[in-house]
Amino acid sequence: MASKITYASEMEMPFSPVSSGDMSWNRTGTWRYIRPKYEDKTPPCNAACPAGIDIPMFIGLVGEGRYDEAWNVIREENPFPGVCGRVCFHPCESHCNRADYDEVIAINALERFVADQAPPLEAGSPVRGRREERVAVVGSGPSGLSCAYHLAKMGYQVIIFESLPQPGGILRVGIPSYRLPKDILDKEIADIQAYGVEIKTNARLGGDLSFGDLEEYEAIFLATGAHVSRKLSIPGEDLEGVGSGLDLLRDINLGKTVHIGRKVAVIGGGNTALDAARAVLRLGGIPVIVYRRSREEMPAFDEEVSEALEEGIKIQYLTGPTEIIGTNGRATQLECIKIELGGEDETGRRRPVPIPDSNFTMEVDTVIVAAGEEPDLTFLPEDIRVEGKMVSIDKGARTSEKGIFAGGDMASLDRTVAHAIGFGKRAAISIDCLIKKRDVNSVLQGVQVGENGILSMAKYLSEVTRRRSPHVVAFEDLNLDYFEHAERNERVKLPVSERIRDFREVSAGLTDGQALKEGERCFSCGVCNGCENCSIFCPDLSVITDGGVVKYRINYDYCKGCGICIAECPNNALSIEKEAK
Amino acid sequence: MKKIHIPKEEYMVPGNLACAGCGSPIGLRFALKALGEKTVIVIPASCMSIIVGGFPYSAVGVPILHVAFATAACSASGIRASLDMQGDRETTVVAWAGDGGTFDIGIQALSGAAERNDDFIYICSDNEAYMNTGIQRSSATPYLAWTTTTPVGNPKERPKKDIMAIMADHGIPYAATACVAYPEDFIRKLKKAKGIKGTRFIHLLSPCPAGWRIASDEVIRVARLAVETKVFSLYEIQDGEAYTINYQPKGIPVEEYLNTQGRFRHLTGEEMAIIQENVDHQWSRLLKRCEG
Repeated sequence: MASKITYASEMEMPFSPVSSGDMSWNRTGTWRYIRPKYEDKTPPCNAACPAGIDIPMFIGLVGEGRYDEAWNVIREENPFPGVCGRVCFHPCESHCNRADYDEVIAINALERFVADQAPPLEAGSPVRGRREERVAVVGSGPSGLSCAYHLAKMGYQVIIFESLPQPGGILRVGIPSYRLPKDILDKEIADIQAYGVEIKTNARLGGDLSFGDLEEYEAIFLATGAHVSRKLSIPGEDLEGVGSGLDLLRDINLGKTVHIGRKVAVIGGGNTALDAARAVLRLGGIPVIVYRRSREEMPAFDEEVSEALEEGIKIQYLTGPTEIIGTNGRATQLECIKIELGGEDETGRRRPVPIPDSNFTMEVDTVIVAAGEEPDLTFLPEDIRVEGKMVSIDKGARTSEKGIFAGGDMASLDRTVAHAIGFGKRAAISIDCLIKKRDVNSVLQGVQVGENGILSMAKYLSEVTRRRSPHVVAFEDLNLDYFEHAERNERVKLPVSERIRDFREVSAGLTDGQALKEGERCFSCGVCNGCENCSIFCPDLSVITDGGVVKYRINYDYCKGCGICIAECPNNALSIEKEAK
Repeated sequence: MKKIHIPKEEYMVPGNLACAGCGSPIGLRFALKALGEKTVIVIPASCMSIIVGGFPYSAVGVPILHVAFATAACSASGIRASLDMQGDRETTVVAWAGDGGTFDIGIQALSGAAERNDDFIYICSDNEAYMNTGIQRSSATPYLAWTTTTPVGNPKERPKKDIMAIMADHGIPYAATACVAYPEDFIRKLKKAKGIKGTRFIHLLSPCPAGWRIASDEVIRVARLAVETKVFSLYEIQDGEAYTINYQPKGIPVEEYLNTQGRFRHLTGEEMAIIQENVDHQWSRLLKRCEG
């Protein structure tokens, strides 16, 4: 009963004063001068994820044991949870607010856990309405596959051309199976194909097919990676027994027999060098990594360096090769010079300066060069602009030629799997915009996560759900009273003696119990996780819980604007605004 | 994350007349969730007399009897007797009074009912002064707290009355403390009390934004700090003797609690140190009682 009661005369009033109506006529909302509102914000992990995964959303589901839904949340943005849950350099974890409390959330391990629970998709998985337009993707690495996946889910007819006999690009041929087992990769590629993506292997652009063959397609996405090994430019590089890290890893990964010697020098400090050295160790060789700077400057992921050191691989820091010396055309010695670090160079790292007369030689059977990779751009038509050995693209992944897009390692120096996946998504959105004649720049602006150009496919595909303010939630924004200290749950690694026997996977996944516990640790920064504190502590019964996409609503008829809901929200998922006068 | 689980049922409607951020309707809402529909509430003069709405309206979905300041307990006794005469053993009778109506003005009636072990639940919603009439000190006002009758320069030099010890020494079957920031604890205690016959006493801490000089959104946080600093401990007493501590506080320095509130703004470092000592002493006394 929400109306006022009026007694015509004293006679009408009850004999004793008994209430006959409730207080809901009294719209206490008129007292309010500030207004709380539900406003999800940007979690720092999400803003740091080059693939744009909605991390708190999937982790929240893990914490509730809803693994299947968690998998779907990851796959809104990234078709490779199993791959990324193993090989991603997880910048999300470096930005996790939990670092200021105890230990960061094991996001990477949780991602892998979710993927490991998911059954394979069945062919003919549903897409958002079939479209007739056809798109060609060149290269089946993480970037190409990601682009194809998103376009296929939008309904487009996508074909991928891959030069190698097997799809996967760098995931297939660059990463050894002790980090990424082949069956995991196969499964996730098959899940992409389940949406109707066609993959043509042994089809090299510039060899088996020409640009002219691609004219019939509405758009082309180039993602051929960076597979040319940079030379050292020192004498002796053409001797027998000298090879590149990329070639070695490719041969191993494609199942070819490789011949390496016993004493193997691996030159370089990136992931390729580390992987090559660890592969050599597993093939029975004794690798020594020769790197001209110190550990701090190593571009390889820290975890990989640690694992290599655990396995007993020697790293010769501050050492630069000067010559490979051979006998009868075969490499037998590596001459090096000792190095000290000078001032910063253009990459922000300290410049290596050789120490005069410090030369020494190492006995070697094999020298593996892994001093960086470059894209092969020789197949490109001249009218596609190239800058600094990379294809030049704009924010929409567009090359200088209309309808031709590019991304991944061939177009960027951010050469990680996660960046490549993000590029694929960017290109997919941009291609969709081209076909649907939308202004890509304003579209991209609108689907950003945070302010560093990370994109959300979920936002792109439906603008209503999960709208979030660009404010990246800081540690201070949270109400920590609702959290307890809890140890991070770690993956178990194989003992070194077992690891180095063959190419079996080094890390085990989290157990079910570990994943649940780890999921519960998440602060869910800026993202409502349905704890109901706002409703529990509302003095005015003005928080309406009605399920659905937006979990809660505020009844402004009665909300007095006390702000308790905002203060007691552990996740900073509410905001305050001044009431209009 | 610690998630709070409380019953979904609501026995109040919006539109109450509490100030924004008041702890009282939060506490009443929890209490009704615990006790259910078959409850009669007696309210003596207090903030709650106003909050629930005036004749002919009520914001509460159960019968309320508004009574004179000193008469919460004896009115509850009377209602209980009347229900007993009618053969209604199902309905729970609750007296809901403030600290003034309990510690000061209503203590005679309360003591009498407790001595007779009359069968009702008495909830003292303690906001540590006569807030409704303009923040005058009560015997529940903490040591050195500002009120309009204990202005800065003329402080309250007596500690808060230990109402729990007084009630325990009546030998009543159940007495417990509770706090609006800990709804699960409060609801559990009320459900437990509901199953016990005789006088049951709940001392509920419920901050007042106006009287404590805190922002309206800080009520729950400050209430939680009262518990975590051991200024207000969560415990229960069975049969006047068996003490149990229900929540192990973090033991945050009391300064952090005092600094949140304008009513303690005038305190010097030495005064805060004395309060810390008092709190430590009170806690060790509680521990001793728990040991029996």
